[in-house]
Amino acid sequence: MSAATNPLNKSGEPIAWNFKLLAQNDLGGFGGMGEGMSVQIAKDGRRIIWLAHESAPKNFTGVDVSDPRNPKVIVQTDLPQPYMRSNSLETAGDIMTVAYQTQKVGQQPAGLELFDISVPEKPRSISFFDCSGPHSRGVHQLWFCDGEYVHMASGAPDFKPSHPNDDQFYRCIDVRNPAKPKEVGRWWMPGTSATDNVAPPPRHPLDKGYRAHNTNCYPQRPDRLYLCYIDGGMFVMDIKDKANPKVISHWTNSPPYTGFMHTAVPLFDRNLMLVTDESTENAGKDWPKLIWVLDMRDETHPVSIATCPLPPVDAYKDRGGRFGAHNIHENVPLPTSWQNDQIVIGTFFNGGLRAYDIANPYQPKEIATFVPPAPAGTPVGAIQLNDVFVDERGIVYTVDRFSGGLYTLEMEF
Amino acid sequence: MNSPFPSPAAGPFGRRLKRARGAKVPVTVVTGFLGAGKTTLIKSFLASPEGQGTAVVVNEFGAAGIDDALLRASSDETVLIGNGCLCCIARSDLQEALRRLVIERERGEIPDFKRIVIETSGLADPSPILQTFATDRALGDTFHVEVVVTVVDAVTGLDMLDQSPEARRQVMLADRLVISKTDIAGGSDAIASRLRALNPNAEIIEAANGKLDPSRLTEPAALTRNPFLADEAVHSDGIGSFVITDDKPMPWAAFAKTMETLIALRGPDLLRVKGFLNVEGCRGPVVVQFVQHLAPPPVELEAWPDGDHVSRVVFITRGIGERQVRDLLKAVWAII
Repeated sequence: MSAATNPLNKSGEPIAWNFKLLAQNDLGGFGGMGEGMSVQIAKDGRRIIWLAHESAPKNFTGVDVSDPRNPKVIVQTDLPQPYMRSNSLETAGDIMTVAYQTQKVGQQPAGLELFDISVPEKPRSISFFDCSGPHSRGVHQLWFCDGEYVHMASGAPDFKPSHPNDDQFYRCIDVRNPAKPKEVGRWWMPGTSATDNVAPPPRHPLDKGYRAHNTNCYPQRPDRLYLCYIDGGMFVMDIKDKANPKVISHWTNSPPYTGFMHTAVPLFDRNLMLVTDESTENAGKDWPKLIWVLDMRDETHPVSIATCPLPPVDAYKDRGGRFGAHNIHENVPLPTSWQNDQIVIGTFFNGGLRAYDIANPYQPKEIATFVPPAPAGTPVGAIQLNDVFVDERGIVYTVDRFSGGLYTLEMEF
Repeated sequence: MNSPFPSPAAGPFGRRLKRARGAKVPVTVVTGFLGAGKTTLIKSFLASPEGQGTAVVVNEFGAAGIDDALLRASSDETVLIGNGCLCCIARSDLQEALRRLVIERERGEIPDFKRIVIETSGLADPSPILQTFATDRALGDTFHVEVVVTVVDAVTGLDMLDQSPEARRQVMLADRLVISKTDIAGGSDAIASRLRALNPNAEIIEAANGKLDPSRLTEPAALTRNPFLADEAVHSDGIGSFVITDDKPMPWAAFAKTMETLIALRGPDLLRVKGFLNVEGCRGPVVVQFVQHLAPPPVELEAWPDGDHVSRVVFITRGIGERQVRDLLKAVWAII
């Protein structure tokens, strides 16, 4: 039977293979979610997952997932402006940090907000760190696990990029006094500031910008930052002296690939690293967007040894929306996060949620797939799974980019 | 193999799994004599929600028979109504059919199936099918035989078991026994007691009017020893079954060397060996399986299914007794 004659293939049959769906919650009809997911254990023992929305009008939503079969929204907040988005958030203890980005440079408010979430139903703003400016859209993504420093991809009032698409760079913010956040370090890719005396980097055909995305830092190596820089590739940074970050190594796949390097997750015990691209074009126009496996035995010389295989682009590209890699579970160094270096779990927009066994890192093998039906209200006609988080119990949380909200699942492998 | 990148979180047998099959595609093997009702049960399963996404392989080992025609018609229909079932008729060879299913799925040419049901021909000995999954590297990596179900007709089953060594072998190698047509036969006590004598470790269930709880075709059989069977069961074919248990953690080498010795001396007579081992240094039970001289790699589970951490391995053998195996294991254990 060919693909053209198989009616099931054409319609995109839902798949739940080795993932078991426990529940879906459309979050009160505001189920378009971004890439901020973090689990807090409240003082009364309840397990709250905090979720960032992909766009206005909602800011963030707290969901009680103590019973993952029955997730309950306990709080949902609004953004002050329709041109804002709170794409990213993290929690550490009872502090939550939220990233605010605006649609255009110069708009306000744009920056970082800290909340006291000790009473989950009543998040209380502690402080706001302004990152707006004539050339800034604010903060796109942040990392906050140690309760002391926020590592983030952000513009700044005093930063003028050499190209308008390159406005967000790495900034390290000291929040040990959460009422008074202060910047303690920053770094941008040479050539991307208008003040640099080196030539700006050449533009990629899709030109998604030379700007920071994920800024991961782990307690195993607090002196290292694993920084993805969208069209600029991945940097391993020495941040022992936070005021003076230094490049240890750089790895990129573009060209010939089409940029948008997104997340780098080191697997310390195995001398490996996972690096993801993000698909940002509909209908497979930026195919292939992949999860890459790097040999990091020598951190000064990353070597790509494999990618996680995806089904044929022809089977997915016309289902609606994007198809390709995006976020993976990042082994966030918190007690509420699953830690695993043998399995990769990632979201692939209309390709759903997929798990890979990397016991043999040269040959990642897909071991589980979850492609739910198009959620009600989605404008693209297909699921667009955007982000994933796995808690220490092994419960998998994934979110849809447009309308499906939160899905909770069990791993069966 | 992965020496540059070992994971300290892995056990001696690799990544610990939640279940014996890990992420492999489960395979249900349905055996039973011609007319026993295999096709009726499979059709009923395909029509249930649990049967969604099932690929059926009819293993005819030769000319197409009536079962083939029946099932093909039924599965074509289920594809058209869109419940995700599909049917693959293996006209040639089981391995080729299964490989083709995998390739077509990877190309996106057929729906993602989540389960395979293999219907054997009436005369088939299930051993070659089990061996296929233990020998063929590509298949063994993708598929896992979850359960072997043998269907026995309550009306003619007793006669069949008396007359046919193949029928007895199908019963002895099964994980689960289904007595069909009990509504016609008007009772099942006689056949049930004969089945229990032939295979004391298998679950025995009844299917009146072709109806069966779908989970009986999907769930692996629990490995529990029937407590009332103190002695090994031996039958006229010389085939016997027994369970070896031990409540002490066992060095892996003790079991591995015992099996190596048995295979070297009597491999063809180890018809089926399966079970859980409490292995020294392992957190969960280690699942082992053998079909004659062949064995898929052992896997460690994340946790024991219950508080009982006793090794328990079922042996179905020809002319090898429980005491011989137990003594061999004890001797090997003492000298390693």
